[in-house]
Amino acid sequence: MAGGGESSAPGHAALSKLLEALVECWEREDEEFRELRRRSADWKFIEEQPPHLRAALIYFIERGDRYVAARIAGLTVEEFDELRRRANIPVVV
Amino acid sequence: MLGVADACFLIDWARFRRRELLASLFEAILIHEEVLAQLRSPSAIDFASRLLARGALRLYPWSAAEEELFIKLRDEVALDPRIPSLERPDLLCLVIAYRAGASLLTENLGVLRVVQFHPTFSRVTAWTALEVLEHLVYGGLAEVRSVEDFLGIVSEYCEDTKHVFSSRRMREVVERVRTWLAK
Repeated sequence: MAGGGESSAPGHAALSKLLEALVECWEREDEEFRELRRRSADWKFIEEQPPHLRAALIYFIERGDRYVAARIAGLTVEEFDELRRRANIPVVV
Repeated sequence: MLGVADACFLIDWARFRRRELLASLFEAILIHEEVLAQLRSPSAIDFASRLLARGALRLYPWSAAEEELFIKLRDEVALDPRIPSLERPDLLCLVIAYRAGASLLTENLGVLRVVQFHPTFSRVTAWTALEVLEHLVYGGLAEVRSVEDFLGIVSEYCEDTKHVFSSRRMREVVERVRTWLAK
């Protein structure tokens, strides 16, 4: 994990505390982003896709990760990006 | 000012109606050859090729020392379940931005999170397209007279790329633009 190379104990403790606070913030953000993707998605289009593409789109809705979703779909990132646009799923950052 | 672009940023930005403004914002945008190899669509390849031809986009001369930095960073962050998956090219961009003192242009949530906490790489300035749009305004490259004008440009980007910016990021950027406009 981050800070593995840091030598001082106080530095490591401070980093852990910062990370804890950030993780809470990230979890809230993840939920907001997931909800935006779920709400915007064209679910009819998604249901009509072959199983591996459907699985990739649903994974993307849940995690927002284009790289892994593209791998699940067996597509390049760009090809998957075209698919997620057709499925009306936004990239949220 | 130097920039480093990752693949997702370029793929998305290449679809934006004001894409040509990007080159005016930076002295040069650096790209790793593995990132260039990720581009496949005609729009992204065409955009990147034109930037390369103009010298606005430049291939970064990767070194063994940077490969070591990459391996160290990968070992520190790649297996952390709290960070969205990070592919090798994304981390290469982060290393380049750190070494070159460049702004990292990325739409990758994992990378954006690493720079929030990492003791070394938090020195990197990471911009999503929203911050790039913000800096186009400051640089006089996108003329806006009000926050509404700025939001209009953001809407164009969101429409062209099917993007949504988080409420937190929007709030922070809009506040900075509002302050800048008031000066």
